[in-house]
Amino acid sequence: MNLYQPNLVRIDEIIEETADTRTLKLSFQDPEIAEGFDFKAGQFGEYSVFGAGECTFCIASSPTRKGYIEASFKSVGKVTQAMRRLNVGDTMGFRGPYGNHFPIDEMKGKNVVFIAGGIGLAPVRCVIWNTLDLRDQFKDLTIIYGARSVSDLVYKRELQEWGNRSDVKLYQCVDPGGETPDWTGDVCFVPALVEKAAPAPQDSYAVVCGPPIVISLTLPLLEKMGFAPERIYTTLENRMKCGLGKCGRCNVGPVYVCKDGPVFTSAQLKTLPPEY
Amino acid sequence: MRRMLSRTDLDALVRDLLGAGTRVIAPVRRKVQGREFVEYAPVQNPEEIALDGSQPVRPLKQVVFPPTETLFNYKQDKGLVQIQEAPTTFSDTLVIGARPCDAAALEIVDRVMDWDYHDEFWFGHRQATTVVAVACTDSDESCFCTAVGLSPESTRGADWLLIPAGSSFEVRVVTPKGEALLESNKSRCPESDVPEAGKASSAVEEKVRANLAMNPAKLQEWLGAHFEHPLWQKIALRCHGCGACAFVCPTCHCFDIVDELEGVGRGARRRNWDACQPALFTLHGSGHNPRKDQSARFRQRVMHKFSIYPSRFGEILCTGCGRCIRVCAAGMDLIAILAEIGQNAEEAGSTL
Amino acid sequence: MEELRELAKKLLQEKQVNAVVGYECDRRGVRPAFVDDPAGCDRLVFDHRCVQNLPAYLSPRRTNVAGLGRLAVVVKQCDARAVAGLIRESQLKRENLVLIGVRCGGVAANPNESRELGAETLALRCYGCSGTETAMADYVVGEPKTVPAAGGDRDARLAEIEKMSPEERLALWKEWLSRCTRCHACRQVCPMCFCERCVAEKTQPNWIESSPHIQGNFSWNVTRALHLAGRCVDCGECERACPAQIPLGLLNRKLAKIMSARYGFAVTDDPSTPAPIGSYRLDDGQEFIL
Repeated sequence: MNLYQPNLVRIDEIIEETADTRTLKLSFQDPEIAEGFDFKAGQFGEYSVFGAGECTFCIASSPTRKGYIEASFKSVGKVTQAMRRLNVGDTMGFRGPYGNHFPIDEMKGKNVVFIAGGIGLAPVRCVIWNTLDLRDQFKDLTIIYGARSVSDLVYKRELQEWGNRSDVKLYQCVDPGGETPDWTGDVCFVPALVEKAAPAPQDSYAVVCGPPIVISLTLPLLEKMGFAPERIYTTLENRMKCGLGKCGRCNVGPVYVCKDGPVFTSAQLKTLPPEY
Repeated sequence: MRRMLSRTDLDALVRDLLGAGTRVIAPVRRKVQGREFVEYAPVQNPEEIALDGSQPVRPLKQVVFPPTETLFNYKQDKGLVQIQEAPTTFSDTLVIGARPCDAAALEIVDRVMDWDYHDEFWFGHRQATTVVAVACTDSDESCFCTAVGLSPESTRGADWLLIPAGSSFEVRVVTPKGEALLESNKSRCPESDVPEAGKASSAVEEKVRANLAMNPAKLQEWLGAHFEHPLWQKIALRCHGCGACAFVCPTCHCFDIVDELEGVGRGARRRNWDACQPALFTLHGSGHNPRKDQSARFRQRVMHKFSIYPSRFGEILCTGCGRCIRVCAAGMDLIAILAEIGQNAEEAGSTL
Repeated sequence: MEELRELAKKLLQEKQVNAVVGYECDRRGVRPAFVDDPAGCDRLVFDHRCVQNLPAYLSPRRTNVAGLGRLAVVVKQCDARAVAGLIRESQLKRENLVLIGVRCGGVAANPNESRELGAETLALRCYGCSGTETAMADYVVGEPKTVPAAGGDRDARLAEIEKMSPEERLALWKEWLSRCTRCHACRQVCPMCFCERCVAEKTQPNWIESSPHIQGNFSWNVTRALHLAGRCVDCGECERACPAQIPLGLLNRKLAKIMSARYGFAVTDDPSTPAPIGSYRLDDGQEFIL
């Protein structure tokens, strides 16, 4: 089996997140691979639909939940449209895990604030469940999540679950105009909610994922609030093909996002050209 | 004592290998629509081999990195998929008459193909291929191998280097693979006490040197500090944004991965050459493109070759073959561009 | 040459344009030049090595060239056919552009040609050309020149291929097109390939396989040739740009002949002449439509 050959996975469950976003729950067909598979929060994979091609997503489930992986995707291009046409029981391909990961061990004993916009909650969700599953090892956990509109919020069941838990604080917002009559969250942009709800920067880590606009506004804001740039983590979403540091597509300056990333600190991003 | 190989014996060697089923690739002359050129191609008999010709229009990389290569095939039936593996071992190939700049590229690209994950396809081809390079006896105004640390008789990436000496070649054995080739052809390569025929290629080397002098370390330093510079915009105006420069480059190795159907329920996943110059290369599904215009894309090409690759892998990703200059329809001239950047670096001096 | 430089200088000084697109000498021959400073106008040249079709830079996908602002462009009569084509297809407004027409006298096949212009060096598209300026020009520079006599029949090779059996033709094109590596230089240098997203890059559906195997290469090169039927301006840039040495011009030439025979259309620098692909006449031949 060569390194471009994927493992076969079966679609166990399809969860409709929004009108154009789905989560697929996948399990490896080969029991030996299923048994041996392990990954760390933040790592990604190459998911494929045979006949359509490969697509890069983070693993959206937590490494603490064994036996399956989840991928959340928006139907945009050829592969994601093909993924949308698949049913439970169908076969897909998966190569991975690839890339680096969030420093879960380093975050232990500290506060962590999770900030996400739109489908950017997928990589963050992986870390959220990872920390929640080891809840006693972390101090305060705060989730700040926003989307364009109420219908664009992903992982709605989980948002409800996190909102009901007393050991994690959840703040949600939608962009002005995106609210519904029964919306109880804020109506503002993500950075405004960060200013309002983020914990004190001392002893805290931040994990930020979302569209480029959320990243470019939130990282400087957190720094202004006193977060150390080395403790603000985000992921870069450059286009990839191989995931193996070969095909040359994800270069940002000297960095191969697929190998050196996708997880970077705000401090690291400052040393890179703005090609992401 | 030096070993010599006559052209007649070289032809006999080729005939032996062809007879044994080895694929032999060599520069051959072509004529298409009145245009004459030389290119690397499989030969059926040694007479086709053109060892004194001009530089092949396309590099040797296609031998170890085919423009399209099947990664695996699959069959699909009602949601169930069966994968048929593609082989990563290949039949023996002998390249006769590789240009030193093409041979060196193989070794340079080895680095990225093995820095973490080991690319079985690349190394499968590499292992199956024996490279006999021939020192250059001519150059043109686009050659600049000397500026990137190579020379018209550089042995990098070659298993043998042949140095033309009259109607024969001096054989320089470079690698264990080359030793093995000599072992089976010892009688054809007699030792000779003929004194070295003077450096046949020194005149060529002088000629290449005159094209470009470059300080790679300084260049790298300047590039590292000048991601933003008016130069990029100025240079890239004439660039058409095609992949010709990358596709004829012996060191460019970017690729795409695609699925293609081959009838109902059957298909293949392939990797194909790709290039950083077209806009599509980095375009996200959302429509966002981290490299907005041609200046950003051309800058990436220069950066990757002379700053990024050297900083990651300790090698310049360029062998000075000059093909990008020769093929460019817009007259983009890497020698002139490197000279201009070099001058900027010189002027920036120690203030960097 | 002085006339050209003085004109360019004047246009820039009077701010009639922000930049002049012309030709300059480089180390090896002649290449396109973008001059936005009156002092830089002395770089401009025009001679038989000025092969490139500069209107290719006017296509709206050239965002960085568009960023220069209002342009003056040096055009040979043949280049002006591309300007006319872009206007005809609503890609360009004539009033947004200043055209400097040159009296050309023919060009070589290659911008690095060091020999004099003659039967041996003359570009194919110059065969039979008058070498006069285009009627579209806002300004005309240079003395009238004569194009050297052609070195033979331009279409001799095409006639040979036409005589072949379909099997022989297929074998020939298989051999040539198998060389294609899909760098798309043919498309990128083409002034008439202005699509925002080329059909070759569309994935839903994936009309053209992107792999450079023989079926993908046929699919790409034949589609491109057909898309240029009645649109190709016969500048020969695709063939010159092809690093695989594929004689692409033969395909375009063949289609131009078909367009001429069937629709009486010949490529022209008159933008008001309707393109066959964009116009309908009752007497259009349509017996091939079932």
